[in-house]
Amino acid sequence: MATVSSPTGLINITIDGRAVSVAPGTSVFDAARISGIPIPTLCHLQNETPVGVCRLCVVDTGARVLTASCVRPVEPGMKVETQSGKVLAARKTLLELLMADHPSPCARQQKSGDCELETLAKSAGIEQSRFAKRTVARGLDDSSLAIAVDHDACILCDRCIRGCDEIKNNFVLGRMGKGYSTGIAFDLNAPMGNSTCISCGECMVSCPTGALTNKGVAGTSIAASEDGYTFQAEELLRIPVFKGVSGTFLELNRGAIVKRRYRKGEVICREGEFGSTAFYLVEGAAKVSISSPIAHVKTHGGAKGFFKRLTSTLVDRREDVREEETRDRTIPIDASVDLSYGNPVASLGPGDLFGEMTCLNFYPRSATVRAESDVVAYEMLRNVLDIMMKNKTFRAQIDANYRERALENHLRGVPMFADLSPDFIDHLKQSVELQRFAPGEVIARQGDPADSFYLIRIGFVKISENYPGGAMVLAYLSRGDYFGEIGLLGGGVRTAMCTALDHVEVVRIAGDDFRQMVERFPAVRKGLEAVADERRLANEQRLKTVDSVPLDQFLSQGLMEAQSLLVLDLQKCTRCDACVNACADAHDGVTRLVRDGLRFEQYLIATSCRQCRDPLCMVGCPVGSIRRRNSLEVIIEDWCIGCGLCARNCPYGNINLHPFQVMNEDPDHPGRTKAVVKQKATSCDLCTNLAEPSCVYACPHDAAHRVDPKKFFADAIGQLPTY
Amino acid sequence: MARTRTTKKLAQRIDLNYFKRSTPLKRAKLWLSLLVPVLAILWIFWYAFHKDARVYSSGRMSAPHAVLETQCAACHIQKASGFSAKVQNQACLSCHDGPIHHASQVSTPDCATCHTEHRGRINIAAPSEKSCTGCHANLRTTGAASRYSQHVRDLADGHPEFAVIRENRRDPSTIKLNHALHLKPIRRGPTGPIVQLDCADCHRPAAAKNSWSYADASYAANSPTSETVKTSASNGDALPPHNPPTGRELMAPVTFANVCASCHLLSFDKRFSEGVPHDKPEVIHAFLKKKFQNYAAAHPSELRSARDPDRDLTGKPLTPRIQTLTAAQWVAIRTSDAEQLLWRKTCLQCHKLSFDRNGSLPHVQQAAASSDTALPHVVEANVTTRWMPHAKFNHEAHGGFTCVSCHEKALRSSDSSNVLLPGIKTCQTCHASGPDYAESRCFECHTYHDWSKRKEITPTFSFPPLETGGL
Amino acid sequence: MRIDSTQRTWAIASAVIFAVSLSAYIVYAHNSIQGARGGSAIGLAFGVLGFAFMLFAALLGARKRAPVWRLGRAQAWMRGHLWLGALSLPIILFHGGFHFGGTLTRVLMWLLIFTVFSGLFGAVLQHYIPRVMTADVPLETIYDEIGNVRNLLLEEADRAMEGLCGAIGGSKTSEEEIQRAGGFTAMRPMAAPTKGSAAVAPAAEILLLSEEESSPLRHFYFNEVRPFLERPAEHRLLVSDLHRSQLGFSGLRTLLPEGARATVDDLEDVCEEARQLKKQQRLYRWLHLWLLVHIPISLALIVLGAVHAVMALKY
Repeated sequence: MATVSSPTGLINITIDGRAVSVAPGTSVFDAARISGIPIPTLCHLQNETPVGVCRLCVVDTGARVLTASCVRPVEPGMKVETQSGKVLAARKTLLELLMADHPSPCARQQKSGDCELETLAKSAGIEQSRFAKRTVARGLDDSSLAIAVDHDACILCDRCIRGCDEIKNNFVLGRMGKGYSTGIAFDLNAPMGNSTCISCGECMVSCPTGALTNKGVAGTSIAASEDGYTFQAEELLRIPVFKGVSGTFLELNRGAIVKRRYRKGEVICREGEFGSTAFYLVEGAAKVSISSPIAHVKTHGGAKGFFKRLTSTLVDRREDVREEETRDRTIPIDASVDLSYGNPVASLGPGDLFGEMTCLNFYPRSATVRAESDVVAYEMLRNVLDIMMKNKTFRAQIDANYRERALENHLRGVPMFADLSPDFIDHLKQSVELQRFAPGEVIARQGDPADSFYLIRIGFVKISENYPGGAMVLAYLSRGDYFGEIGLLGGGVRTAMCTALDHVEVVRIAGDDFRQMVERFPAVRKGLEAVADERRLANEQRLKTVDSVPLDQFLSQGLMEAQSLLVLDLQKCTRCDACVNACADAHDGVTRLVRDGLRFEQYLIATSCRQCRDPLCMVGCPVGSIRRRNSLEVIIEDWCIGCGLCARNCPYGNINLHPFQVMNEDPDHPGRTKAVVKQKATSCDLCTNLAEPSCVYACPHDAAHRVDPKKFFADAIGQLPTY
Repeated sequence: MARTRTTKKLAQRIDLNYFKRSTPLKRAKLWLSLLVPVLAILWIFWYAFHKDARVYSSGRMSAPHAVLETQCAACHIQKASGFSAKVQNQACLSCHDGPIHHASQVSTPDCATCHTEHRGRINIAAPSEKSCTGCHANLRTTGAASRYSQHVRDLADGHPEFAVIRENRRDPSTIKLNHALHLKPIRRGPTGPIVQLDCADCHRPAAAKNSWSYADASYAANSPTSETVKTSASNGDALPPHNPPTGRELMAPVTFANVCASCHLLSFDKRFSEGVPHDKPEVIHAFLKKKFQNYAAAHPSELRSARDPDRDLTGKPLTPRIQTLTAAQWVAIRTSDAEQLLWRKTCLQCHKLSFDRNGSLPHVQQAAASSDTALPHVVEANVTTRWMPHAKFNHEAHGGFTCVSCHEKALRSSDSSNVLLPGIKTCQTCHASGPDYAESRCFECHTYHDWSKRKEITPTFSFPPLETGGL
Repeated sequence: MRIDSTQRTWAIASAVIFAVSLSAYIVYAHNSIQGARGGSAIGLAFGVLGFAFMLFAALLGARKRAPVWRLGRAQAWMRGHLWLGALSLPIILFHGGFHFGGTLTRVLMWLLIFTVFSGLFGAVLQHYIPRVMTADVPLETIYDEIGNVRNLLLEEADRAMEGLCGAIGGSKTSEEEIQRAGGFTAMRPMAAPTKGSAAVAPAAEILLLSEEESSPLRHFYFNEVRPFLERPAEHRLLVSDLHRSQLGFSGLRTLLPEGARATVDDLEDVCEEARQLKKQQRLYRWLHLWLLVHIPISLALIVLGAVHAVMALKY
């Protein structure tokens, strides 16, 4: 039906009065684009199958209704109007409708000002939509580390879905819901971070609005130093782990990964520093160590001299062994290896990843890594790390590394497992499962059948128990801790709820293996049972104390949470500061109590560790040095790196950082030492190696007491008016 | 925007090193704590620098030792071996003798046990009551049982009655004196018709200087050797006084010349106004003979004497009417008569005389023949001058009292064998412990050291020359 | 230190020691030849005992310098200090047989009397003042930090004023408390609820009053509140007295729009806290200044007492 056809079989059409000849099957949209006539669109993308859902590319072809140019093939002799008044009016209305649904300015508009919808609306002169805003929110999904999902900004253009399915063939994204609640979904509407999404970034690259945006990580990019080398996207794509990742996405994340070279002896990262990057070693070897002296912030001794020094060297651990520590503990750090307590040095080689915790959870660096030879490493932010971790081959390699090198140590770090025979360890190496959990995810639910035993690799797990009337936090477990044994050894039912507090990785030992283990190694069984009994007992006791104490003012000060309070009877206290001096004296010149705070009746609740039932301070310690002893008091172990997270977390201001002068190896002059000021977190340790806390012991006026608040204030609680 | 106070906020206001900061209060405490003890030490060093050890003295010294106050080393003798320089007995004994109290005492205390120095300007010789009662409250001796009271606790408790009174002794004196009579108004006296004697007219301390009311100068002039006071040796172990008495403590023995002579005339013959000397019979005899011989020479007419007319009541042979005697005869007769009077009456009023063999006076004739041999012998007066040989008593200190307020027995005593010493009860009315009473401590009357055993001491300590250089 | 029933044991023990000493003294003074003397065996025993008591009492100071050494609870030391220290006076009087002796001993005796009585005075103060302080100064803080806290109050008041009236000038921001918190303010909060790290609540609502509206407030602030916060000794200011302060603030409220209420309440609160701090300072001084007499003279007593002991043993 073509009256004018080119010799090559081209079809001639007229667009806005201009003659255009294109191959048959070309869409009107493409035809206009070829001839340089812009047609606005939202849902259409060059490399994706046109679907024509946004209808913004409507043109007037002289038909009854306006037609979507992206899906309309050219026909010979077609006369297309792209800028007629009718078309413009229709587009404007469409834009107004879309804008009514759009949380303007959306994340993308805010960040880069290039939200396609808003750009179009602006150019169309739309200031205010005439239509009512949407009333039902579709919500945010912040679970992915690399990509933020704002369902409200989604205009259901399907570009992301096509990108995921057609281009990358990942088949993660799809549609879900009906009507107002229609939206995109990952897998079967899982949170993006938990889905099978591999963070290739294609969807984000495809999205026209702020619905899928790149999560800028603090500072967005790593400042490339002289030796650092910022990758171009193409180069990145050549690295195996980035195979299949969207180039645009990598482009967006340019600067989020840097290739660095370190000469021998250079420090790659330093403990206690704040960071947001992980390192992947490509070449060379590195030594990981804790340079903070493993030393107690001294807890015994007395006045050293007439004048107390402001800072002081710490006491070597050998001089001050706590009686409880008979086992050789390992210090969990943020790498695939653990450090032994006695000799906190380990080495890392090519293929090792370290700094995951820092990168994922923004914990401070847990150890110092120093290049042993010339080293090449990728330093990456967490979106890139996420991409890498989502890569199946990379993941497999990392897991294999872990199984090979760290798992044994990790298992043996648990004292009961020290006796396991090598062959069984080998067996476990193959059979254990490495699992990851996102923050808030439930690892095991109370009442579920117990089918596995968990060993925590990374992150913090909250163990809580539901009881009629509420939930009670029993413990916070961190790296090196384990849970699940009570259920397995006991009735086969989970007795407590285990929830991931942050990005948690656990080693899961299946129930069968566990049972085999406890059968083969009675010592393990015995040890585990002992711990299980202890935990059960402690839990029971703790639940018992909850009972049905009325929640009143007593609670508002958090006194109920406390297991032990330092109270000063103000009617006896002469404000002589003997307690503070004693504390400072017991702890080498720094006080761990502040004689100020709120009052309860005639008692001053001094600012000193309360040994909370729910020790918030323990969450997040990058090296697991703040922990609970078996006697339930919270202590800060000697390998604290001084990051201050616990101090920040303590709601009562009971943890403080104090500078201590320590002798460290001088990096400039090897072999020599120089005085460095190190921060260490300090908190009341109840003077554990003494019979009685020094402050109480040193109170000349019988005013200071360490008490169990509920017993001590028993009368007062009963008398308190109920509000 | 109500202000909320949370524990954390409150705690974070506080500088964690605040307690190390110096504050004015702490500074003041520190500096004062340094300054005040340093001042104290400087103060002590100042004394040490001036070599003034007085500061360490536990008190001022007794008046006699006051000069030693700066001379610590005089008594506190530092020995090469040993730190302590406690005063040893030798230090005291180098100047003073301290004779032993009793040979039979169980133990001899150190000097300082009783004589405590550094107690201010006290009388160091006056030891405390306990110095004595320490032993005497429960007396034990090494030898035979003591004849003293075994349990003397103080004057009021356990102190025995004075021995004379306790044992109801008689005054051994041979002088006859009726105190009661003498203290009543006397009809006839030398100065007037009524004489009221006072105790002090007879009893005075030796040092008393005022004139005796009843003295007779003629007697006093020729003070007879026989009247020198011979201390009574009735209690053989009487101690000589250690301190020389002022002469006012004790009553001096009564002498005839001072006290008696004015009334008790020793007249012997109407021809003479004066009396015989108050002396031994031999002296009197010689005196009489001399007097009569002189008289005979001066009055030869006296040798002739007319007998009283016709009066013979005795039936004895009458002497010739007119008798003319030789001078010698006359003297012998007159002497004999005078002696008769004296020996038989005048002397006997007070004294006890003893006669030879038959105890009768020799006949006049015999007397004339052997006048020298027939004289009587005056029995020793045996006056007891001190009734309490172991104790001191100072009459002068008690001068405010009338004599009879203590010696009231004198008013009633008609017999000289009565001991007029007042009993201890009399003492105790004033002397008792307590501020309301007079001193009752032992040293008031007694002395510890047996001064009879005194040795001569050559002091080994001599004071440094005085600064005046003896000018 | 409160003298309460928990001290019964010490009281009884002290009474027993006193009674025994007294009876020993009476018997001894009655029987000894020269009366009670420091140099005799029993007198020396009294002296040694008394000096031992004094030394023990003085050792409390040393004990406080080494509070961690397990030498017995400080409480026991304190009670010993109190009771034995008080006992040392009669014992030493027994030692001297109620004689004051020579120069040194006289000085010592007076020092002892002053020490013991200043100590008793202090004990009485320490018995009563903490209660007064507890009742009257509910907002008390650490005495040494009062100046610092007052600066924070001033700053808080300035901020509150800035929140209401705009820049008021002359206010300085304090970096101190940020540094003090360990320099972790830049850190991301984890599980802990985010709370202001500084002790000073940030001015949340910004309500600006016009120049005209705020002038009574400014006037009051700059003439009353700020001077008081800067110079607490000033007592002529309205806010230095509770009653006048209440009057002043209620008058101020009537002059200001409704929206300024909260700020005025805060300012009043700040003034109340500053007043309490002032009161605390006064009470605290009462509670501790007597030590300036007690400690130095007790040290002098010990020093001279030692000299006396040596010299007395020598002579």
